[in-house]
Amino acid sequence: MWKTVLRRFLIMIPQLIILSMLVFLLAKMMPGDPFTGMINPNSDAKEIARLRQVYGLNDHWWVQYCRWVGNMFHGDLGQSYIQHVPVASLIWDRAVNTFWLSLLTVLLTYAIAIPMGITAGRHQDEWQDQAIQVFNYITFAVPGFVFYILGIWLFSFTLGWFPISGSVSASASGFWGVLGSRLYHMILPAILYALITTTTIVQYLRTGIVDNKVEDYVRTARSKGVPENVVFNKHILRNSVLPIVAFLGNTITGLLSGSMIIESVFSYPGMGKLFLDSISQRDYTTLTALILLFGILTLLGNLISDILLSIVDPRIRVK
Amino acid sequence: MKKGKLLGSALMMGALALTLAACGQSSNNAQQAPFKDWKISTPAKPAKKGGSVKVAVETDTPFTGIFNDELSSSGVDTEVSQYGSESLFSTDDHYKINNSGAATLKIDRAAKTITINIKPNVKWSDGQPVTAKDYEYAYEIIGNKATNSQRYSTSLEDLVGFKEYHEGKASTISGLEMPDGESGRKVVLHMQQMKPGMKISGNGYFWETAAPYHYLKDVPFSKLISSDKVRKHPLYFGAYRVTKVVRGQSVTWKPNKYYYKGKPKLSKITCSVISPNSVAQSIKSGKFDVAEVITSQWPNISGAKGVRYISTKTLGYTYLGFKVGKWKNGQNVMNNNSKMNNRALRQAIAYGMNVNQVAKRYSYGLTFRVPTLIPDQFGAYHDSKIKGYSYNIKKANKILDKAGYKKKGTYRVQPNGKPLTIHFMAMSGSSTQEPIIQNYIQQWKKMGLHVVLTGGRLTEFNSFYDKLQNDAKGVDMFQGVWGLSSEPSVNDLYGRGAQFNYSRYATKKNDELIAAMDSQKSFSTKYRVKKFHEWQEYMNKEAYVVPVSNHYTVMAVNNKLTGYSLRPSKSMNNGWPNWYYVGYAK
Repeated sequence: MWKTVLRRFLIMIPQLIILSMLVFLLAKMMPGDPFTGMINPNSDAKEIARLRQVYGLNDHWWVQYCRWVGNMFHGDLGQSYIQHVPVASLIWDRAVNTFWLSLLTVLLTYAIAIPMGITAGRHQDEWQDQAIQVFNYITFAVPGFVFYILGIWLFSFTLGWFPISGSVSASASGFWGVLGSRLYHMILPAILYALITTTTIVQYLRTGIVDNKVEDYVRTARSKGVPENVVFNKHILRNSVLPIVAFLGNTITGLLSGSMIIESVFSYPGMGKLFLDSISQRDYTTLTALILLFGILTLLGNLISDILLSIVDPRIRVK
Repeated sequence: MKKGKLLGSALMMGALALTLAACGQSSNNAQQAPFKDWKISTPAKPAKKGGSVKVAVETDTPFTGIFNDELSSSGVDTEVSQYGSESLFSTDDHYKINNSGAATLKIDRAAKTITINIKPNVKWSDGQPVTAKDYEYAYEIIGNKATNSQRYSTSLEDLVGFKEYHEGKASTISGLEMPDGESGRKVVLHMQQMKPGMKISGNGYFWETAAPYHYLKDVPFSKLISSDKVRKHPLYFGAYRVTKVVRGQSVTWKPNKYYYKGKPKLSKITCSVISPNSVAQSIKSGKFDVAEVITSQWPNISGAKGVRYISTKTLGYTYLGFKVGKWKNGQNVMNNNSKMNNRALRQAIAYGMNVNQVAKRYSYGLTFRVPTLIPDQFGAYHDSKIKGYSYNIKKANKILDKAGYKKKGTYRVQPNGKPLTIHFMAMSGSSTQEPIIQNYIQQWKKMGLHVVLTGGRLTEFNSFYDKLQNDAKGVDMFQGVWGLSSEPSVNDLYGRGAQFNYSRYATKKNDELIAAMDSQKSFSTKYRVKKFHEWQEYMNKEAYVVPVSNHYTVMAVNNKLTGYSLRPSKSMNNGWPNWYYVGYAK
């Protein structure tokens, strides 16, 4: 097993090199650069040309790439062209926001989805199941941003229960004050996001339960006189959560990469929003660092999924 | 006095035009647009002490938050620092520098000097006085290469020795003299050349703010832009001081008790970022005391209660430019064989734009046609005789027929018989941009002109400027936007050596007129005004660049607030109001 993990790690290295080159090249292929938008009565075209030279934006892409990789090995991700702070500090700032929002979302998602999936599976084709199916169809069909905007309109503007943007209120002070304010800013986006992401988990769980209910070992257990609750919890449920466990690895990736849509709608300063902004502002240093980070997270997430699966299901052994 | 009147009448005309526009709209819009009641300031009422104000910062991206005028380069940063960042100089309503601000200005043409005297009671928000060194330090921040400030410019090189300092050949700026020493309050600037625009703020020849040397001196120049002293705990000498910054999201301000005009009225101002999509709802639900109205959302804002609209014309315009040349070896070089190098064609295209109709239909009267490249905010410099190109397809057809653009089937061909397809580049933007551009294209089609969008669709912001700057193929004309400096000189936008002159036109007559506007003779305002009028007439005739439209800046302000004004004379001279005057009415 450890051998496998090591091998997977080693494979990640060429994967990351190729990914980083692709990312860098694609970023450079976008029209414009961080200075393209700097056109106002206070800017001097000659000065902008000089700054392009200073930042090495006129060099060939491979020269810039090598410089970037070189700096990275020295632990320097560079300085953001737009925010003028070290990229690492910028990402750290946003990653913290995204991490807490995602964690809350994941907790809520599972808290909502697992009971729903179990209910639907257990009461297959009864009214409970049908109600959950209708809910699933709706959340599956409605595009995320429509759902979020409706949510803001209803809960923030009309009812005034939640804030409309940001991650913390300007007037919050003290440890508990800031913590409370952060939580308050996260609740609405987290609930909305959780509601919309439950679909997959509910479906997986429901299908798992429905399929497992008719398996031979369940029938055997029942014929042996095992109480129904034990049959369900021990034999059916345990086998049905396998696909959800497989899902967990990707969920962890999501914890840090954030959701571009929800963060944009709520002007929530997280990683997803940072990613979008760095594209539109051509903030190369931030953009490349982010994609590399997302790449690493995805590869790690897959690895964790595989490992988790092999722990939960002894039939699966990574070879 | 005369200028003040001119502005007044211009605003009246604007208001009249807007009222008319409002009448022409469907009834539900008409009731939403009581433009005639809109003023540039809230009514003057006695204000009480205290009260807090929430201001919306409308942006899709978190603000950068560089609280230093010498280093910041984004408009949003200027917006979030408006409560404390004050220019050294005050102006009248036409941006002419007067002596009512933090410093006085004396220009001596013969001696080629500018003398700045900082008033004795002007202090930073930590109580330290603003000194001559603080002014020099601002220059050092801009000039020192280690800061990579984007504010360095060729115009600033007019100060003797500044270029040498920038290039590292000198350790001090030789032309900046402090007769009473660093801790004095007097600065004498020795200039290479005196320019008529120097009397007007925003001229770019000398810097207009100071930086707190005593506070920042320990930070190396290269670290200044990312330092906490600039990003988290900045010092200003304006009415309010920063008490808290939440990076990219909000800034909290409290009164600066050392403010030279007296103690400000409000006890707290919080400005926080909000997505532009949420603005209309925010205004309606009273989440903010001050928020800017986004034109395309106007119909949704109707019926907002407790709100007073304060408006002024934005300093800028949208324009149509025709590519007639290329940027070569540091200057604009015209190509006489270029497709668009035909005056008749350019004029006809300009006549084909139904700007007024479009403004009424898609921006509810909040935008309006601009007839000349020097808009009326510039007072006497604006030539009111010029009517520009108002929609007239008949005339356009006549011009095209006369110039030999004959119709072959649906479309016209070039005078040389070759088919004519005009590639038009326009930036993507608000939801109404697409129908507006399509509307223009339809009008041109009526005249027999085959106009297609570059790349088949609207162009994204970065690509747009990338293509313009590099004179990319497939762009024959484009619709751009300029925000203007408060000094009307056009050299940086339309001169032969101006990189921002994206049309790339450069004619002898244009050179002469622009040179004359900034010449020594132009120290006589009368002469300068005359040259500005001549240039506008010339540009109107040649139509290399045609001004299209401009819009009103409309602020939705809590109607309990008083003292909020968009008048240049009541601003901190950065385009935003001086919050010293703002308070809750008694």
